[in-house]
Amino acid sequence: MSPRLRLAVNRLREHPIDGPTIDRFIDRHGSPIIEGERATFLFRGDVDEVWLRHRVVGLPDPMALERIGDSDLWVVTTVLPEGSRVEYQIEIRKGESYERFNDPLNSRLAHSPMGSSSVCAAIGYRVPEWVSPDPEARPGELVEEVVRSKALRRDQPVQIYLPARYNRVQRYPLLVVHDGPDYLAYTSMKTVLDNLIHRLDVDPLIVVFVPPGDRLKEYPNHAPHARFIARELVPLVNERLPLIDTPEARSLMGSSFGGVASLSTAVRYPGFFGSLMLQSASLVSTDIGFDHGGGPAFDPVVKFVNSYREKPVRVVDRIFMTCGVYEPLITPNRSMVPVLRHTGTKVHYTESRDGHNWENWRDGLGEGLSWLFPGPQKFVYE
Amino acid sequence: MTTILLGPQRFTITVDKTLRSLGLEGPIAVINSGWEEREGEDDELGSYLQGRAVNLRLYHRLVDSLSKDRDFARAALRFRDRHDELRAFYGIRLQGAVETVGAVAHRTSVESIGPVAQAAAIETVRDVDRWYGGQLEQLYDEIATESAEHSEVIGWHRAEVATSLDECAAVVIPGGDVRSLMRTLRLFDVRIPADTPVIAWSAGAMVLTEQVVLFHDFASQGMSASEVYDRGLGRVRGVVALPHARRRLHLSDTSRMSLLARRFPDQRLLLLDDGAVVRLDDDGPDLPVGSRTIEADGTVSVVEAA
Repeated sequence: MSPRLRLAVNRLREHPIDGPTIDRFIDRHGSPIIEGERATFLFRGDVDEVWLRHRVVGLPDPMALERIGDSDLWVVTTVLPEGSRVEYQIEIRKGESYERFNDPLNSRLAHSPMGSSSVCAAIGYRVPEWVSPDPEARPGELVEEVVRSKALRRDQPVQIYLPARYNRVQRYPLLVVHDGPDYLAYTSMKTVLDNLIHRLDVDPLIVVFVPPGDRLKEYPNHAPHARFIARELVPLVNERLPLIDTPEARSLMGSSFGGVASLSTAVRYPGFFGSLMLQSASLVSTDIGFDHGGGPAFDPVVKFVNSYREKPVRVVDRIFMTCGVYEPLITPNRSMVPVLRHTGTKVHYTESRDGHNWENWRDGLGEGLSWLFPGPQKFVYE
Repeated sequence: MTTILLGPQRFTITVDKTLRSLGLEGPIAVINSGWEEREGEDDELGSYLQGRAVNLRLYHRLVDSLSKDRDFARAALRFRDRHDELRAFYGIRLQGAVETVGAVAHRTSVESIGPVAQAAAIETVRDVDRWYGGQLEQLYDEIATESAEHSEVIGWHRAEVATSLDECAAVVIPGGDVRSLMRTLRLFDVRIPADTPVIAWSAGAMVLTEQVVLFHDFASQGMSASEVYDRGLGRVRGVVALPHARRRLHLSDTSRMSLLARRFPDQRLLLLDDGAVVRLDDDGPDLPVGSRTIEADGTVSVVEAA
């Protein structure tokens, strides 16, 4: 390797290292340092041990950082293929005390209901331009509603997205989103919808964002939840708003357990929905026995998926499926694709170099929504 | 009859020079209903037309008709629903037929059956196009035409549009949403006098032909077959207008382009990219020197001097 191509941190090691040298190095390179398909993570501090914590399948977790000489600079370099995006934290040990936090040298953060994480983006990864508000895109409107649910025995709040230029004379397709408030908060889904509709990538549609109640109970194949969606929510929205009242124009989506909720609802009401969008769905199954390794929360999931895999049937026409290759669910998702296709369902399956997180699901919205609800690009010739 | 089809005007403006070249005096009718609710935002366009633009405001008239004539509004909704469903079934049949052409072309033929099978497969695509066209005509006859003929509001607008057109020295039709453009031209029975020159581009060029063909090989939802949308005004005969061809068509895929050309054997597939100026002085299929077309073998050729 020529000196020009050597990693910055290896060039640093060639010289005596003192505090000001490290300061200049960090000022110049920041952290993590992306060089080709390598990422070097840095930590500076007077500690006894440092680890990189991530959940990338295939890389050691925790991943130990190594101190450079007797300085207070800790480093580790790992492979990071083009287009990757990884969320991580730093863990330290000082004496008997352990602490875990976001990378203090990296200001780039991702947020989720579980808190925030630092973000490392490889070369070739770009945040899609339709994620940020576009001043030229007319905003749609979010309307708060409360649905009295007999199935769930509670008042269920929902938020309904009406697209820009909403007009009662028009008729719209419907998308019901599981974990609705999280999609709004962590994938900027309202902005994404505004932009994708403005760009003619996606047809104007009505979207109902539904928050979970007892998520771990209601999302994995729960009859009252499915009844609420198919027999209470959709008919009510259909009555109040100008929807295209056909299965082809009705869709469910969700990520993780929300993906299971989407599929299991469609299985309970076959033919009622035309399409699904499943993002990193927790479609865990076992081929023999019941030792799935996911803990008690996954018991009903595995029971449902095993049962479906035993007698797979076509319940919708089309499914858009995505999964990150760095998440443990990649194998279950890959293995479900032929099962679903075998039923005659049209499955569009894509993978991303990302993990089980909301920004991954955000980045997949453009392709998924435009596949499910193709916009009017074919009609517009400016 | 003079008709000038231009390339898109967003980056390469030629409409001003083209209009000047006609040496006309008097008002210029503008039909920009493809811009929909932005129809009135025509200041920039007006400046290229030397301040002589008279906007026929067809989209505004459509909205006015829908709000004032309930019977017509109901019929319009019924038409829309049935047309949407027709297009959905057409899309299913078309996609299957087009995929069959690809599969047949891919199959090795040792006994010379391949070309015959491919010709038959393409004929099936044409048959699907014809079926759609026939169904659409029936739909117009059943729903759209009658409700418009009996509407006082629409009758009033039609008369006003006709008068405006009679008083204009030329007509300019920009691009936009080809659905709205076609819909308003049909609804207000726009008949451009043969001796009135027309300058059109993008969707405007498409609606002047006999068949409006939709296409976009690079749409965000992926590639799908080009599809017939509607019968155009038929002022330009023997031509399918393909604006933004470089940006919207996979021109290097000769198999795909060949199928497109062979689907419309009696039409020339005219590419209208930035800077294109295609002047047609009669209603024949002869294209002027320099025009670019897609040939039956899928290649792009340039019309040369005879």
